[in-house]
Amino acid sequence: MSRIGVFVCHCGENISRTVDVERVAAEVGKLPGVALATDYKYMCSDPGQGLLKKAIAEQRLSHVVVAACSPRMHERTFRKAVESAGINPFLCEMANIREHCSWVHDNREEATEKAIEIVGMMVERVKRNRALPAITVPVTKRSLIIGGGIAGIQAALDIADAGHEVVLVEREPSIGGHMAQLSETFPTLDCSQCIMTPRMVDVANHPRITLHSYSEVEHVEGYIGNFQVTIRKKARSVDEKKCTGCGVCIEKCPIRKIPNKFDCNLGMRPAIYIPFPQAVPNTPVIDRESCAMFKSGKCGLCKKVCGPGAVDYEQEDRLIVEPVGAIVVATGFDLYDITEKPKGSQIKGYGEFGHGRIPDVIDGMTFERLASASGPTGGRILRPSDGREPKQIVFIQCVGSRAREKGISYCSKVCCMYTAKQTMLYHHKVHDGQAYVFFMDARTPGKSYDEFWRRSIEEEEAVYIRGMVSRLYQKGDKIVVMGSDIAVGVQVEIEADMVVLATAVQPRSGADILAQKLGISYDKYHFYSEAHAKLRPVECATAGIYLAGACQGPKDIPDTVSQASAAAAKVMTLFAREKLEREPIVARVREAGCVGCFYCRKVCAYGAIEEKEIRDRQGNLIKVVAYVNPGVCGGCGTCQATCPSKSVELDGYTDEQIVAMIEAL
Amino acid sequence: MDKTLNYAYYPGCSLHASAGEYDLSTRELFNLLGVGLTEVPDWFCCGATPAHNVDELLSLSLCAKNLELAEQVDGDVAVACAACFSRLKFTQHTLLEDETKRRQVEKAIDAPARLDGKVKHLLEILARDIGLERLASAVSKPLSGVKVACYYGCLLTRPPDVPNLDCVEAPTIMERVVEAAGAETVPWSHRMECCGANFTLSRPGVVIQLSNAILDSAKSSGADCVVVACPLCHGNLDMRQKEIEGVYNAEYGLPVFYITQLLAVACGAGAEKSGLGALMVDPFPLLKVKNIL
Repeated sequence: MSRIGVFVCHCGENISRTVDVERVAAEVGKLPGVALATDYKYMCSDPGQGLLKKAIAEQRLSHVVVAACSPRMHERTFRKAVESAGINPFLCEMANIREHCSWVHDNREEATEKAIEIVGMMVERVKRNRALPAITVPVTKRSLIIGGGIAGIQAALDIADAGHEVVLVEREPSIGGHMAQLSETFPTLDCSQCIMTPRMVDVANHPRITLHSYSEVEHVEGYIGNFQVTIRKKARSVDEKKCTGCGVCIEKCPIRKIPNKFDCNLGMRPAIYIPFPQAVPNTPVIDRESCAMFKSGKCGLCKKVCGPGAVDYEQEDRLIVEPVGAIVVATGFDLYDITEKPKGSQIKGYGEFGHGRIPDVIDGMTFERLASASGPTGGRILRPSDGREPKQIVFIQCVGSRAREKGISYCSKVCCMYTAKQTMLYHHKVHDGQAYVFFMDARTPGKSYDEFWRRSIEEEEAVYIRGMVSRLYQKGDKIVVMGSDIAVGVQVEIEADMVVLATAVQPRSGADILAQKLGISYDKYHFYSEAHAKLRPVECATAGIYLAGACQGPKDIPDTVSQASAAAAKVMTLFAREKLEREPIVARVREAGCVGCFYCRKVCAYGAIEEKEIRDRQGNLIKVVAYVNPGVCGGCGTCQATCPSKSVELDGYTDEQIVAMIEAL
Repeated sequence: MDKTLNYAYYPGCSLHASAGEYDLSTRELFNLLGVGLTEVPDWFCCGATPAHNVDELLSLSLCAKNLELAEQVDGDVAVACAACFSRLKFTQHTLLEDETKRRQVEKAIDAPARLDGKVKHLLEILARDIGLERLASAVSKPLSGVKVACYYGCLLTRPPDVPNLDCVEAPTIMERVVEAAGAETVPWSHRMECCGANFTLSRPGVVIQLSNAILDSAKSSGADCVVVACPLCHGNLDMRQKEIEGVYNAEYGLPVFYITQLLAVACGAGAEKSGLGALMVDPFPLLKVKNIL
């Protein structure tokens, strides 16, 4: 016979104003199995919890119902309290008479009646609860980091420095990401490469970091603490272990006119190449689509000149499996490409800018490569069309961003600042030039950001025009920029030598495919979704997977680094435990009834359903039934709703309990 | 005669007046292509620019009534004038989105509004329904060596999501049609700019400035002529060209054809049936030099 204790909370006046709590306690006290029913002003307070614990001891209570607020608010509080008084925490339930009753009703009489019924239902449910043992799962203390930009590098170094092994996967031949492409960074104008490349080298030399460059995540299995990740190491055609990075192969390659993606296609590279001189690893890769050996079988020069014999035309993609306990996703961003009309997309493109077909209309990243000392022009700002120095340059902000009618409504966050920086770099390099900026607003929230923006206007003589540009067209060797100046209310036309578009920040291409492999959610633009915008900003809703950098939303370098360190801290918190304890509300299969149809496996979103063989004493197979892996089960109950033979049930939500609750009404 | 293709032809007021040559050449071209074109009986003005500035309900009702009249003829509605096209499409778009306005309009015209009937500009019919291949095969006098600046103006593609003729800001449909007739099209900057439209009467100074920019751009792109699909554009670029040349001390001499005129010529209609005599800037020297007429 159960001895249930019911504790009715006043919640100050939140409940007692509308619900006669004393009457609720008196009525519920009459129910069979209830040993004690009482009320108190604040059950969650220290004296309230004391009252609960004291009653458990004195009245030898077997189950507890707290009639108060939503379980989302205080279930954990009261379960801890009963646990400390010696009762299994899952024998304590909450009856929500605040959100579901007092807050939404005015009539005291009716609200009280309803509260009595709500509490009565929970009494019937808790009676049928089982004491559930905690489920523990082991933790593999290695982490996978996807993306080797500044976010991935920061997270990798933090976790590795804390003493844990890290596997870093990068899609490109070198780590470094977009930050390695930048010239100088706001708001301090320090050289991006100078602060970036030492960190890249730290990654390469770290004893606890395994770097897989030119590799992609192929497949992910498992759950928090126990992921199995399959990584595809794409064929580099150069043996990383043998290669010394001497660069002779690159010098000798006869195919030299391939646009270099790292330089935004401004410079050229050979078919065997490293993307940039400071690349990590400093191992070349053969671009098989351009290489003469792969196209026609006639060349083989790089193999001939390679002293250590590292060039290997026969190399194939390799699949490797890495067991890890946590995953940090840091796949970063791409810039919105306006050079062609997007196909079959919600994004509408920029036909009024000729879809970017004018050669001297470039995007912000291309300008960074022009301004970079290690870029294709050695840091001189020159027009891609004729190599002349532009004397009038126009920067256009919010190209794609904040343009609902074009399909993107968000702000890309970094463009106001980098445009201000680029006007400065331009002014430093072209003294007799004039920079104009078309802008909607200048958004400069950040330490020393507004001062920096003001400097571009006051000291570096950039002319800011508030308004948008309606059209760009080529007129002779000039680009006519037609825009509006809404501060003065006039149309403006500028004949520019070069136009720089601050195009929107978008998630890296293929972000959606990776998300599907990982089982994490993303928004309509394919930015990854955090579990809670404010309180869990670096965690995914999927346990054990964390986010860092621009893959979650547009971010500048300081924010990216902060988030990466935060994600690393979350991983370390996870790794601080030997075993993970998780809520034991999971589904269980009644093997006698299970017919092995495995409909449950089809609907299980967590992949928790496994097969289990039932054998007789002689070892003969009788049948195969479903088995729920408690480490993986998410406790959603979909299997229970699906099972045709009613043979799988979720603890705490069994059919028997639900029926008993209904009958209590 | 292609029995499967027939259109309810809505010429609009201009084509019965100042743009008579557009009407003439359209009928002749469709005749040569073997495509049926039946004028909507009792059609009347779509309201053009004035109506929707004065009374929205009136402008929507005028178009809705015309669309209802067009139901008497089998086939989609074929429209030549860019302004009529815009108003008819706008009406369908507005009434689909706004239930209240639809009810008001239906009360005014005393009939259900025709929202799903297809309203097509001649360019769509030529490029998509008839098709470029069939068009090309009908060409007997290819426009070889003629460099054409295709001019869309404001209304053919805009605003986004309403006419859905082609890409809003960088369309190619007119170029493709002109190229099917053997001509060469030039890339140029002012394909989508406004000519000043009906300010031609109230603020001619504005029109002269805007149209000059268009002619200047077309000329400097190397074009021999301009092709349009709108009576107002035609008026401003053709009729006012001499005046513009005077004001800006320029010499353009750019014949301005309606799209159907140029195609009718290419299909062998001859000068008269293509209405070439109605053009203010003499097109004959160009067509003779290129051995087309």
